[in-house]
Amino acid sequence: MLRMITQRLATATLSLVILVTIVFFMTHATPGGPAFSILGQKATPAAVNALNQRLGLTAPLWLQYAIWWWHLLQGKLGYSYLLNRPVTQLIGDYMMNTLALYIGAILLALVLSIGLGLVQGVTYGRWPARLIGALQLSLYALPTFFVGTMFILYFGVKWPILPTGGISNLRIEHPGLLDYAHHLVLPILTVGLLGVAALSRYFGTSVHEELGKDYVRTALAKGLTFRAVLFRHVLRNALRPLVTILGLSFPGIFAGSVLVETVFNYPGLGYLLWRSALSQDYPVISAIVLLIGVLTVIGNLLADLVNGLLDPRERYE
Amino acid sequence: MSIVLELDHLSVALKRGRGKPIAVLDDINLTVNAGEMTALVGESGSGKTIASLGVIRLLPRSAEIAGQVLLAGTDLTRLTESEMRRVRGRDIGMVFQNPLSALNPTTRVGNQIAEVYRLHTGETDRAARARALDLLGEVGIPDPADRLDDYPHQFSGGMRQRVMIAMALACSPKLLIADEPTTGLDLLVARQILALLSRLRHEHRMGVLFITHDLSIVEEHADQVHVLYAGKSVEWGTSRSFFAQPRHPYSQALLAAVPRLGQRRLASIPGNLPDPETRPPGCRFAPRCAFREPACEIDYPAPDAVGGTVFACRRAREISPAAMLDAVLEQPAAPPVVSHEAVLEVTLLGVDYERTATSFLQGVLGRKDKMRALDDISFTLNQGECLGIVGQSGSGKSTLGRAVLQMIPYHGHVILKGEAFDAMSRGQRKRARRQIQVVFQDPKESMNPRMRIGDIVAEPLKFTGLRGQRARWAAAAALLDRVGLSDQMMNLFPGSVSGGQAQRIAIARALATNPGIIVLDEPTSSLDVSTQALLLNLLKDLARQDGLSYMLISHDIAAVSYMADRIAVLNGGQMVEYGTAQDVLARPRNAYTRELIAASPHFRSHHLGEPSETLTYHLSTAQPSAVQTATAQTKEFNP
Ligand code: SF4
Repeated sequence: MLRMITQRLATATLSLVILVTIVFFMTHATPGGPAFSILGQKATPAAVNALNQRLGLTAPLWLQYAIWWWHLLQGKLGYSYLLNRPVTQLIGDYMMNTLALYIGAILLALVLSIGLGLVQGVTYGRWPARLIGALQLSLYALPTFFVGTMFILYFGVKWPILPTGGISNLRIEHPGLLDYAHHLVLPILTVGLLGVAALSRYFGTSVHEELGKDYVRTALAKGLTFRAVLFRHVLRNALRPLVTILGLSFPGIFAGSVLVETVFNYPGLGYLLWRSALSQDYPVISAIVLLIGVLTVIGNLLADLVNGLLDPRERYE
Repeated sequence: MSIVLELDHLSVALKRGRGKPIAVLDDINLTVNAGEMTALVGESGSGKTIASLGVIRLLPRSAEIAGQVLLAGTDLTRLTESEMRRVRGRDIGMVFQNPLSALNPTTRVGNQIAEVYRLHTGETDRAARARALDLLGEVGIPDPADRLDDYPHQFSGGMRQRVMIAMALACSPKLLIADEPTTGLDLLVARQILALLSRLRHEHRMGVLFITHDLSIVEEHADQVHVLYAGKSVEWGTSRSFFAQPRHPYSQALLAAVPRLGQRRLASIPGNLPDPETRPPGCRFAPRCAFREPACEIDYPAPDAVGGTVFACRRAREISPAAMLDAVLEQPAAPPVVSHEAVLEVTLLGVDYERTATSFLQGVLGRKDKMRALDDISFTLNQGECLGIVGQSGSGKSTLGRAVLQMIPYHGHVILKGEAFDAMSRGQRKRARRQIQVVFQDPKESMNPRMRIGDIVAEPLKFTGLRGQRARWAAAAALLDRVGLSDQMMNLFPGSVSGGQAQRIAIARALATNPGIIVLDEPTSSLDVSTQALLLNLLKDLARQDGLSYMLISHDIAAVSYMADRIAVLNGGQMVEYGTAQDVLARPRNAYTRELIAASPHFRSHHLGEPSETLTYHLSTAQPSAVQTATAQTKEFNP
């Protein structure tokens, strides 16, 4: 197990180094350089020069790259061009909101997927499974912003029981946990339901596959009830592919976040990314891209570790 | 003698899709006595597995069962599902084929064994764990206390099967059903498993229903034999009288289709097993039987008995067993034209493989351990010859095949018709490689499931300079014809052909580039006995016609002895024996070779009704090692 962890950690570190390098060159190779983006296309050469001096963009590229690393390792991600605040500070607030949203959504998706998938796998080929299959397909086909908008329309406007945007009630001085939770319901439902579509289908297939394996017959031949076989033997084995898929789908979820957070005016990373992109605020954009990268790598690492716990065969090679 | 299990007119019908149920097992009567072993023998499609699943009632829900399954007098077919659950695991233990997939890969073996014990006895975890430990020791797992918390993949194939047996024994069942427990295991290991089952049934006075397709393996252990063909019993009786003289044409052919040391002729049964949908109304064997007469095809023959076995054949009484056998035995092949021109020479070949280092520090540094998979291998393959490479799994025999095929790096030399591969240019090597083709154990894995058979065979023809889709298609048809398949097969996909047919297709494809050499890597190990015989005979014919040379890699020294002119025995990556087949079999010099020979089925005159002087291999020089003595077939050694 220890060997597996060190190997995975080494791979993860390598991925991060490559990612940082890509982000550096992407932002430093923008047409005209970052100074143009900040000052606008009509900036005088003198102004551009002055800014370049100030931002240290006149140094040779390798030096800039080295400085970039140096700052990164100290946790300095620069200043937002637009808001003139340290990027780290800016991102900190938004990240917490995003994490709350996505952890909630993933938990919701997992619980629903495991439930639906079990039913689907067990009744494979019969009507309950077909019904679930149809449901998954229609969920999958729905665009995120549409679902979000519909939720707002019904639960916010038609039956105004849930807040439709933001993270807390602005009229309250010190919003409590309950208020946050209240605001989270709709965004979590939106993201979670879309996750369910794919994950439950995946899990359903994997339950069905596992049920066809020889060890299930062995377990039944021991005299176990079907339910015991399902929960004691099949469930754990069927979870492995689900965990892998979940680890891999982190970037996809974050890409979707831009839409969902915009629809709900939810102050998360996606929302920030969208706003920064509109104003070409490169330090913020690159920081978010980096962060998403880090989270993806961590997600995969976690998935590997969980799989290592679930499946002893993974631990050794 | 108390009867443990009695199948009384047991029939099973299965539904496929929406059609009406199809009888897959028809009117079976069979008994297993306490402390005895009954062998239920049949090839795939015979219904033998359906019978075992029928006993413990784990058939698909659509199955219709008629007749009785009496376990110590109780009719299992009448029990409710919850009563039946108490029988499973407690009164009947099951051992399945391929323990790697039959055990849960993510649960420790100790827990898997303890689970069944706890379930039926209500004992504590601690008691169940102690029981599991005892059982592992009883089935012969060394250091059981250290292995209790291991996972199935950490055991070798034979040890895994022992774990399976321990699990089946947990509640001291009255009946043990073993469904092909030795298939896929090396010969020596299979013998040990069988010896273990024999010992356990005596000690526990437990009945064993042993299901297998291989008659040779049960010969010395079974008390009764029951042969199934296409869902019907064709012959049954005591083991002694059955093996002394089987009467039904099918059981005779089946017995004579097993390659044995010293055997020169192998029985082959023409044609295929009928589908359950299209079974003939009369004798089910009729379409493939050389003695069929019109009456055979009308009514199912009434059981008849002579000398201790009962058989369902209307002509078995009038036709002598010897004449029957003669009809199915391949005529002794004219020896192939062997020139003494070496087509392949291998000198001092070695293969290393790398493994991630075991120590943590080295692992972090990315250091690899070097392991030697093969060392110092040298041999010569002459034109028209077959070289048998014999060894157990892990001996390096498949690695050797892959090195010769230039699929993996090696050191030493592989010399094809006088030219060493390592001295060739890239282009030359590419062309030279086409002169060595390969056929693997599982041919379907090397076929694209979305390609038609015709295209699969035609594909390598591109390299022969044959232009035009149509010309290649016609050539592919001709190749299929050579391996005994009709061109109607060309439009099918690999998924819809049988194992034996797939292997023929693989051979046809290998022949496409007109190679001089074919490496046959366990070509028949996943096939039924009669299919194996057909395939071996086909390979012999092809060699004779074309002067092909084979490198036959197998764990079955008896099958190799049927084919090979020379034999090399590998053990632990070393070539421990090499010589002409005659020499190696008659005067094995290495202890390991002697063990292999002792464990293999031997030819006895009555098997084929041939005079016994054909038995030139004798084991007076062979000294089976201590482990093997217990399982060796001592009774066969008297000439
Ligand atoms: S009954 Fe007829 S067809 Fe059947 S095995 Fe006997 S001779 Fe052959």
